Amino acid sequence: MKHIIPFVFLFFVLTSCQKEKITIGTNVSETFYLDNNGASMRLLVEGNTSSHTFLLFVHGGPGSSSYFYNTDYISQNIENKYAVVYWDQRNAGGSQGNSNGDHLNLPQMTEDLKKVIQLIKYRYGQGSGIFILGHSFGGLLTASFMTTADNQSLVKGWIFADGSHNYPLNDTLTRKMLFTIGHEQIAKNKNTDKWIPIINYCNAHTGNFTFEESNQLYAYASDAETYFNKVKKINLATLMDYDPVQYGWPVTSILLNQNYSSNASFNRDLAITEFSSKLGVVITPTLLLYGKYDFVCPGGLEEDVFNRINTQDKKIAISPISGHNIMLQDEVFFCKEVNAFIESHQ
Amino acid sequence: MRFLKLHLTLVTFLYSAFCFAQSADSVRIEKKSSNLSLSYISSLIYPGARLGIEFPVNTIYITKISKSGKEKDFTKDRFVTANLSWYHHPAFHDNVYISAGWTMRRTKSHGFLTEFSPEIGLSRTFLGGTTYRVDDNGNVTIKRAAGYYYALVSVGGGIGYDFSKKKQKPFLLFSKFNLLMMFPYNSTIYLRPVVEIGLIYKPIDFLSLKVKSKSRTK
Repeated sequence: MKHIIPFVFLFFVLTSCQKEKITIGTNVSETFYLDNNGASMRLLVEGNTSSHTFLLFVHGGPGSSSYFYNTDYISQNIENKYAVVYWDQRNAGGSQGNSNGDHLNLPQMTEDLKKVIQLIKYRYGQGSGIFILGHSFGGLLTASFMTTADNQSLVKGWIFADGSHNYPLNDTLTRKMLFTIGHEQIAKNKNTDKWIPIINYCNAHTGNFTFEESNQLYAYASDAETYFNKVKKINLATLMDYDPVQYGWPVTSILLNQNYSSNASFNRDLAITEFSSKLGVVITPTLLLYGKYDFVCPGGLEEDVFNRINTQDKKIAISPISGHNIMLQDEVFFCKEVNAFIESHQ
Repeated sequence: MRFLKLHLTLVTFLYSAFCFAQSADSVRIEKKSSNLSLSYISSLIYPGARLGIEFPVNTIYITKISKSGKEKDFTKDRFVTANLSWYHHPAFHDNVYISAGWTMRRTKSHGFLTEFSPEIGLSRTFLGGTTYRVDDNGNVTIKRAAGYYYALVSVGGGIGYDFSKKKQKPFLLFSKFNLLMMFPYNSTIYLRPVVEIGLIYKPIDFLSLKVKSKSRTK
């Protein structure tokens, strides 16, 4: 018996972090996990939970992480008013699991998102108002969520920030923007050496893009915004400035998950996925944000959503200095628009 | 051509005969105690601890004589190790892992040592927060002791000082860098660098084993 006691003690020590703690306050920070179909997904809730209003970040990728959105500026300008939920999707960021790659697909992730919202309501009250914000691939995931069954009844608003809801249209718009802006830049004799190969590629690849062509357009689009001085550069080095050690980021997990998910086979399915044809069912208030210099998910995508959703309560706002990461590249604009939207719909 | 082949064979034979003539081995069986280790392990700022035992397998005492006639003594020890480790990464996970390893340690006569130790093991993580399940009807339950089992491979290398060589104290201090690999982690692997600082206690007689010792002069 006495040999068992240390193991029982050890078990309680190890599981003590798993004791349920739900805080209603103005400066909350708590992490919990949602276990669903082979993945334990990390959720960090920060800010003002006493507002009973939650902004849920649905990150890009697939395989990026919500850690990147948790900036000081957002903490000081959104978390002080509302609670922000930083959710790491399956096989991303600090989410954990074993052999779960078979479950990495859009319908599963749509179900995950629904359960995340149900869990937030369970923890903080069924009356909690939830706004979902899809960035980049998160745009596709939130579009899938909003157009599935009666999911949209779970949220008070949909924010679509530099998102994509239609990958084939996305490729077409990216090519068009690279081609048009590229010609303008060459005419102005700016970064000619960088734009010429892009223009040549666009001339040689005009439509019905393969998966490989789509990836190449994405690579050119990611580079293109860096050719404009007014656009703040976002790369791994700038993200590391966030002091990941101080904030306890599981850095190797973030990097290895990103590597796995961004190369997973389901990306081929995503490349032919679109929700334009289903957006007519959306009646939820919607805010559409994009950066003028976003070549990855050009503004035409937001305009397509705007034109197709079935609500009059909708707005498009364009940042004049931002690329693909509006929440990091034009923080003032982003927080102002998001706060105003939540304020008027909570 | 034939002459060249014969010449090469002869040279190879004479060279190897010369080399073997330089080393003399004597083998004996001796009783050696097992060692106990305790260390602090850390990955960046995340703390942990490790408890282990080293079972001796063999020891080679080597004396190297340089061309100038100077003698250099060192010892090569081989151990089979068993370890219990734990680290705490707040809000991510706690990880408890057991591992078995093969330690190769080379100790100079004045006590300075280097070692390399590959290990295999089993890890059990405990997630760093309450873990919930939501069923298809929206009912929420808490999953107790949520976490995962992973296969684990670790490779580590380090330096240390053996106080038993010069100061007749039965312990050694060491510092090691280990790289943990856990799999399958989200269908891929998880890597974690771990720095270890610890102490190995060398009792006179604790779980003593008969091991083969060799003395070799080069």
